[in-house]
Amino acid sequence: MRLTVNGRNHDVDAAPDTALLYVLRNDLALNGPKYGCGLGECGACAVLIDGVAARACVIPIEGCAGRDIVTLEGLGTREHPDPVQDAFISEQAAQCGYCLNGMIITTKALLTRNPNPSEREVLEALRYNLCRCGAHIEIIRAAMRAAGHVLEARD
Amino acid sequence: MTDTRSPGQRNRGSLSVVRPAVLGAEGAFETFITITSDGLVNAHNGHVDLGTGIRTALGQIVAEELDVSFARVVVILGDTAVVPNQGATIASETIQITAVPLRKAAAQARHFLLTRAAERLELPAHELTIEDGLIRGHDNRSITYGELIADETIRLELADDVPVKDVSAYSVVGRSVPRIDLPAKATGELVYVHDVRVPGMLHGRVVRPPYAGVDAGPFVGTSLIAVDEASVRDIPGLVAVVRIGDFVGVVAEREENAIKAAAQLKVSWKPGPALTDLSDIEQALRANPSTPRQLIDKGDVDAALKAAAKPMHRTYLWPYQMHGSIGPSCAVADYGEGGIRVWSATQNPHILRGDLALLIQRPESEIDVIRMEAAGCYGRNCADDVSADALLLSRAVGRPVRVQLTREQEHAWEPKGTAQLMDVNGGLNADGSVAAYDFATRYPSNGAPTLALLLTGRIAPEATVFEMGDRTAIPPYDYENMRVIANDMPPIVRASWFRGVSALPNTFAHESYIDELAAEAEVDPIEYRLRYLKDKRAIDLVNAVAERAGWTPRPVWKEPEADGDIVRGRGFAYALYVHSKFPGYGAAWSAWIADVAVNKATGHVSVTRVVAGQDSGLMINPDGVRHQIQGNVIQSTSRALMEEVSFERGAVTAREWGAYPIIKFPELPEIDVLMLPRQDQPPLGVGESASVPSAAAIANAIYDATGVRFRELPFTPERILNGLRQPVTPAPLAPPAPPTDLNRWPNPFAKRGGMLAGIAALCAAAIGIGAAVLPWRAIAPIARPDASVYSTATIARGKELAALGACAVCHTSEHGIANAGGRPLETPFGTIYTTNITPDVDTGIGAWSYPAFERAMREGIHRDGRHLYPAFPYTHFARTSDADLQALYAYLMAQPPVHAETPANALAFPFNLRPLLAGWNALFHQPRPFQPDPSKSAIWNRGAYLIEGLGHCSACHSPRNALGAERQAAYLAGGFAEGWEAPALTSLSKAPIPWSEDELYAYLRSGESRLHGVAAGPMAPVIHELAAVPDQDIRAMAVYLASFNESTDRSAHDALAAKLEAATAVTTAASAGARIYQGACAVCHEVGGPPLFGSRPSLALNSNLHSDAPDNLIQVILHGIAKPAVTDLGYMPAFKDSMTDGQVAELASFLRLQFAPDKPAWTDVAATVGRIRQTIAR
Repeated sequence: MRLTVNGRNHDVDAAPDTALLYVLRNDLALNGPKYGCGLGECGACAVLIDGVAARACVIPIEGCAGRDIVTLEGLGTREHPDPVQDAFISEQAAQCGYCLNGMIITTKALLTRNPNPSEREVLEALRYNLCRCGAHIEIIRAAMRAAGHVLEARD
Repeated sequence: MTDTRSPGQRNRGSLSVVRPAVLGAEGAFETFITITSDGLVNAHNGHVDLGTGIRTALGQIVAEELDVSFARVVVILGDTAVVPNQGATIASETIQITAVPLRKAAAQARHFLLTRAAERLELPAHELTIEDGLIRGHDNRSITYGELIADETIRLELADDVPVKDVSAYSVVGRSVPRIDLPAKATGELVYVHDVRVPGMLHGRVVRPPYAGVDAGPFVGTSLIAVDEASVRDIPGLVAVVRIGDFVGVVAEREENAIKAAAQLKVSWKPGPALTDLSDIEQALRANPSTPRQLIDKGDVDAALKAAAKPMHRTYLWPYQMHGSIGPSCAVADYGEGGIRVWSATQNPHILRGDLALLIQRPESEIDVIRMEAAGCYGRNCADDVSADALLLSRAVGRPVRVQLTREQEHAWEPKGTAQLMDVNGGLNADGSVAAYDFATRYPSNGAPTLALLLTGRIAPEATVFEMGDRTAIPPYDYENMRVIANDMPPIVRASWFRGVSALPNTFAHESYIDELAAEAEVDPIEYRLRYLKDKRAIDLVNAVAERAGWTPRPVWKEPEADGDIVRGRGFAYALYVHSKFPGYGAAWSAWIADVAVNKATGHVSVTRVVAGQDSGLMINPDGVRHQIQGNVIQSTSRALMEEVSFERGAVTAREWGAYPIIKFPELPEIDVLMLPRQDQPPLGVGESASVPSAAAIANAIYDATGVRFRELPFTPERILNGLRQPVTPAPLAPPAPPTDLNRWPNPFAKRGGMLAGIAALCAAAIGIGAAVLPWRAIAPIARPDASVYSTATIARGKELAALGACAVCHTSEHGIANAGGRPLETPFGTIYTTNITPDVDTGIGAWSYPAFERAMREGIHRDGRHLYPAFPYTHFARTSDADLQALYAYLMAQPPVHAETPANALAFPFNLRPLLAGWNALFHQPRPFQPDPSKSAIWNRGAYLIEGLGHCSACHSPRNALGAERQAAYLAGGFAEGWEAPALTSLSKAPIPWSEDELYAYLRSGESRLHGVAAGPMAPVIHELAAVPDQDIRAMAVYLASFNESTDRSAHDALAAKLEAATAVTTAASAGARIYQGACAVCHEVGGPPLFGSRPSLALNSNLHSDAPDNLIQVILHGIAKPAVTDLGYMPAFKDSMTDGQVAELASFLRLQFAPDKPAWTDVAATVGRIRQTIAR
């Protein structure tokens, strides 16, 4: 099966019902999307499919043929981060960072469809992305920063 | 001068600061600091970074003491081969305790280098300055650390009396530094143990025993009966099934196949042991045997209690909670010739190494535990079971193995944060002062031995008692008469340390109780506390927080002004988190002022704002401290409001985030962090302190809002309503619906018991008729027709007709070749296998002439004269025109022939007697071609022809009589097939919005109608096939079907949809079912939620929720949608392995009540779940 991931084609030798997540992590050696629940509940596995956020743990690769898949790695690198990645780093928007992939991807998807979200819209967009460490405050700031809002400095 | 040495030879010198190894061979040592001659600094610490940023803070400490730039320091944590053994990373002590020798080592190295520089430069040391490892004299001569080390290997033994820098000289410590790990984490670099990939690595999964979450008792390690390896023989790339005692694991080349194997492996366990009933936690804690341990006895408590003017006896209860790590545990082990390496996320690498050595009976020195980062674990990884699992599997297969737990295993088997019970006996004197404080706490121990040791029988599954419940058990108040007892007891459920440990529940009791005392004494609760608080820093903190929050004294409870159903309140709590072995020591001081809004109608509590003040002493990285405070506030608010592990018969049942919800973004309080400037004081642990006052501050705020004390967590809507004495009354049930026999019918082709007798009786009658009918003759076989005689157009038309008839849906086995047959159809009479309809001469229809084919399609007779069972819908196909049948024949003959024998049907007598069917046909079959209705339009007639003929829609969508014939009087009025309801397509539809032509067209074309839902179950492959049918035919089918419904008005339908959606929006989670919906379903189904790949079916409009039968809803919850009609619709996961029957029933009942409020509740939902669980997933 042929998959287009981060702009490159990959021929993958896996059963069609294999969840995209395992192919991304194991065949393509990508670290961004992570296994969190396998049920699409937590968002740790998020990727963009045709520009829309998707939960890679519940989507088999047979549903991905001919689609444009972008992972955290495809957004940017340490040297050339995507503005959303840059905002998350600047705002120190993680503790353990396991949910960070989903937070960044979901924010990216939000800004693609709504470049100027309010804080309420950011909260609602991230409602189904779980963070256990309690890094929410920094994550909200990062999303707002990525959206171009000027943030008040913290004391 | 050019250095001619190779890079490997260059700069080989180093300076290390070491100490003799705690364990290990004579002369072995442990390193804290190494400075290489190229000026790089390696700092080693035995603790690990649990996501709190201590790696960054430790780097700051070392850079500061060593006078090098922060960027020069590499912090190495947790690799047992290279870091000192400093015990488990617990109790917030990394900075406060564990960093001390590292700091001294850095200071010692600096001192050594400075002394040496002074000699070299021949200047007094005090005249030298150091900047980033460059030592400079006043005469501008300088020398670097690297140059001072050069080729030498210098090893200093750590001295205890090294002078460290004065705080006033700090330039790195005390300033906020960005976390060094975040760029890698934000861009997907290799960081976590989950990312470790070793050459030749295989993937493993474990299968855990049924006593979920319990690790003590004689059944542990002794419950396995058998593992059926044959049950996974078909898994591709399966390498091994491993069984040791109750330890069961599988290993495969690919991860998804390991997952499949673990799910599919048949494992028999002994009948479940009787576990402690946890439906009443308080009772379970009181019944658990315990040993009292007195921690303090001051004054004369008994006499004071006797003399109290107002005795007050109170009990506080804390539930079992989960650490809830977002990333299920993972490890990679390589049991190799040259040594054993385990990449692990453990919190205690050295202790784990000891466990692993014990497990595999090898010396510790052969094992290297390499600690990688993990998802935040908050104490859970004190028992990093998965490292041991991976090691056992790697040893079994001789290759590296990566193991990750499933979410369900993580939830069920993570050692929990334990439940705790606090009893306070005390009261007031007549003057309002505290008479006495007699406190007893019951805390089941949280030893949590590594699971594999127990499952393999390496250690005995005995419940060990530790002294653990005493953290912050002594209140911070100077009560004159005070007694504190810790009742030490064995675990009930497997437990490990959880952020705030026993201090959190103990403080919930202390801080709730003093609030109750203040209220009884009619004194402001902060003022009352200050009367008994003697610690200067505590007093400063309390006052600072009160000022920051604008606290107004509230000596007497006054009913607050309500805003509709909302009442608001404000509560205070304070704690000095005292941890570690009793009497322990304090971490940071913390105080909360929480504001809440309580909805008295729904019971929903919202924490709207928290002012969290903290005195942390010296803050190494103030931003890091702020993050810890915020993280603690959010996590502990979540714990207080909604977190509680559910059990059934003593085993954990919460296995996903719906059954164990945690706080979501929109529920966050506003957080105002107040960090007291105490940079001149020693640094204190900040990883947990801000959690400790949480529950009491919130409970006190709820009291302020409602006048009611809540002494048991979590503060769910049900508990609040109960406390407000407005218990949840279930919505009044509508009267039961009149029996709608049109929609429930006995289908001989669906597996249902209980109707066999009646059917058999009717069959007997049919036999009589059948016997009177002569058998059919065979039609002679022919050589396979040459498909080239048919035009391309005819074959193409035939292909469309095959798609319309969905031939391949039934005539293809799971994963089989299209139309080669072999799909089992389960019936009450036995199993019928569909036949091979490819043109293979021997096993398919290659020898069938057109007349034989036509006879089969019109009469239901095999070429050889046998009757076909009416599972094959010839009663419909008979209506097809000759031209279409010829085109279909041409297409089928043009397929590649596939040799595939059809398995023999397995039907019981008398149903295996095909002549019976002659009687059935005589009764129910009229082989007449379709006759158009001249009173209808051409398009209607076209639709009728397609629907009634090859489309055979009514085969599923009409009810049938007892002999399985469609009831013509109830045409398209709904039926059942393959365990799914095929809903009515007429005005009898239960859908809240009638079907219109446009919606029917959309549904048949795309698999989705916004006003009804998506195709699932047996309908999904039908829609998939219809993709080959041209638009105008789909339109004709829609026109025809729409004529069975009332005339439509699109805008009225849209308005109705909007109204239904608005009226059923989910605003509270006042039941387990509602919480499961919000955690598991809402992400894809909540109206207006953020877009995700795939469709977003609106449950308020979904036909299945409005049906009389819950079957389709339950089917889709259990089995999900793995094969949607088209991939654009997206996928739905199956929840069958993540939810119990009871949870699915709660969810289904909630969805019915919420989204179909005008319909009566379903009955016997749990039984239906159980029944459907047994049926085939589709």
